[in-house]
Amino acid sequence: MNARALTSEVLLGIIPIALAVALWQAISSFGYAPVTLLPPPGLVFSRLAQQLGTSNFQHEIASTLFRLFAGFSIAVILGVGIGLAAATNPVVNAVVRPIVRVLAPLPKVALYPALLLLLGFGHESKITLVAADALFPILLSTYYGASMVEQKLIWSAMAAGTPRRQILFKVVLPAAVPSILTGCRIGLVISCIVVFLAEMISSTDGLGHMLVTAARTFQAVDMFVPLITISLLGLILNGLLQGLRSYLLRGFPEV
Amino acid sequence: MIEIDHVSQIFRTSGRQAHLALSDISLTIEDGAFVSILGPSGCGKSTLLYIVGGFVSPTEGVARVKGRAITGPGPDRGPVFQEFALFPWKTVLGNVMYGPRQQGVKAAEADAQSRRLIEMVGLKGFENFYPKELSGGMKQRVALARTLAYHPAVLLMDEPFGALDAHTRTRLQNDLLNIWERDRKTVLFVTHSVDEAVFLSDKVVVMTRAPGRIKQIVDIELPRPRRRAELLLDPRYQKYVVEIERMIDDTSEDGLRP
Ligand SMILES: Nc1ncnc2c1ncn2[C@@H]1O[C@H](COP(=O)(O)OP(=O)(O)O)[C@@H](O)[C@H]1O
Ligand SMILES: [Mg+2]
Repeated sequence: MNARALTSEVLLGIIPIALAVALWQAISSFGYAPVTLLPPPGLVFSRLAQQLGTSNFQHEIASTLFRLFAGFSIAVILGVGIGLAAATNPVVNAVVRPIVRVLAPLPKVALYPALLLLLGFGHESKITLVAADALFPILLSTYYGASMVEQKLIWSAMAAGTPRRQILFKVVLPAAVPSILTGCRIGLVISCIVVFLAEMISSTDGLGHMLVTAARTFQAVDMFVPLITISLLGLILNGLLQGLRSYLLRGFPEV
Repeated sequence: MIEIDHVSQIFRTSGRQAHLALSDISLTIEDGAFVSILGPSGCGKSTLLYIVGGFVSPTEGVARVKGRAITGPGPDRGPVFQEFALFPWKTVLGNVMYGPRQQGVKAAEADAQSRRLIEMVGLKGFENFYPKELSGGMKQRVALARTLAYHPAVLLMDEPFGALDAHTRTRLQNDLLNIWERDRKTVLFVTHSVDEAVFLSDKVVVMTRAPGRIKQIVDIELPRPRRRAELLLDPRYQKYVVEIERMIDDTSEDGLRP
């Protein structure tokens, strides 16, 4: 994609966001909702800007980001590892397949009370929950990507002298990268949602905790600040992943 | 020398029916010979090539190369597929260097060798392009260079020019002949084009409709080096083409009878 097409795509993407903010502004300006319940966007963004400078708020962001990254990374490592193993080894596949069928549709947040009891209220329980939720999309897309690798790519590598046990890393993994990254993208969005959710349910810090605290004391502006922050974080992280994707997939058709 | 010794191949299809793809094929290919396999689609040409490649093991019989039974793929037999099968994550140079690097050639030397090969197949200047940025003909040139790079004694080509337009196809045929006339590798070349088979080959193996059997082997006694323009006017060439086309017509009729 050339630079101009990219710019116009970004512009097109900004329009609906701008419209949503305008609607939000309109609702509060025309008094459809009391300012105490729905503060105008200007108020929220200026509060956000002011908060960003405080070390307290930075600490909340850092906690959330740490949990998000740790959980997501674990999900990537396990998802790609198990997905590749299942796609290339029938025994592993036979073991993994039924477990995935049972666990994938399970709402992982239902495990959270048990995780809290097992791992405590700190980082561990939240990281585990994020990892558990982000794992399945990554695992499944890795599995499908690795199962769909064109047979003739593998044959070409074998004829060139690649031993069978190296085919996994020399051919299957690189060929599956497009679909692995698709899984990662979904996993990243889920991670953002789940880390926030876990912090809302039980935490002593993090953006989700900020929201709950503000809500308990009816601080509408402070409720919206963490919400906007997690959205922006999601946007930035997705952009970074997108950049990594276009770099890694520069040789693949239709990116 | 490649010996295909009473090879049969049965595939179990989804309906658990046994499908006889190749039936009792015996064929000997001398070192340095250019042999084409010609036959209607579905007659088992690819399967036969995959057996020699070691990608598929025959249900019955044995295939040997240099007297040793083929048990798997090896760098002595290099495939070139109709679908190119280039590594999309590697550049042209990366694709061509892959084989030598696997063979333990040092990076700098593999690089130099590969650049020479890329030049030989007419792609100088495209070293850092990705396959998706090349036309079909160029992709097939890369695939050929990638295979030549690890110096296989035998080239196994499965309808390599089948996906190309007529003009590109002709150019690649000429270039392949030039390359072959230089180093005289053994080539097993699958095609369904009679012209192509006669133009390129020392021997044309005509197969019957499924289950694939060898119907006839025609020795093409045309002088080399062959020039396309001269050959097209050569009555001997025309005679071969007509003779083989008749054989294939008969084959089709065989297939229609129950
Ligand atoms: N892996 C396979 N499983 C089942 N049937 C196959 C397989 N490979 C080939 N066949 C069947 O064997 C026959 C010969 O196939 P192929 O060798 O590809 O023919 P050709 O290359 O001459 O067109 C076809 O009927 C095809 O459907
Ligand atoms: Mg075929």
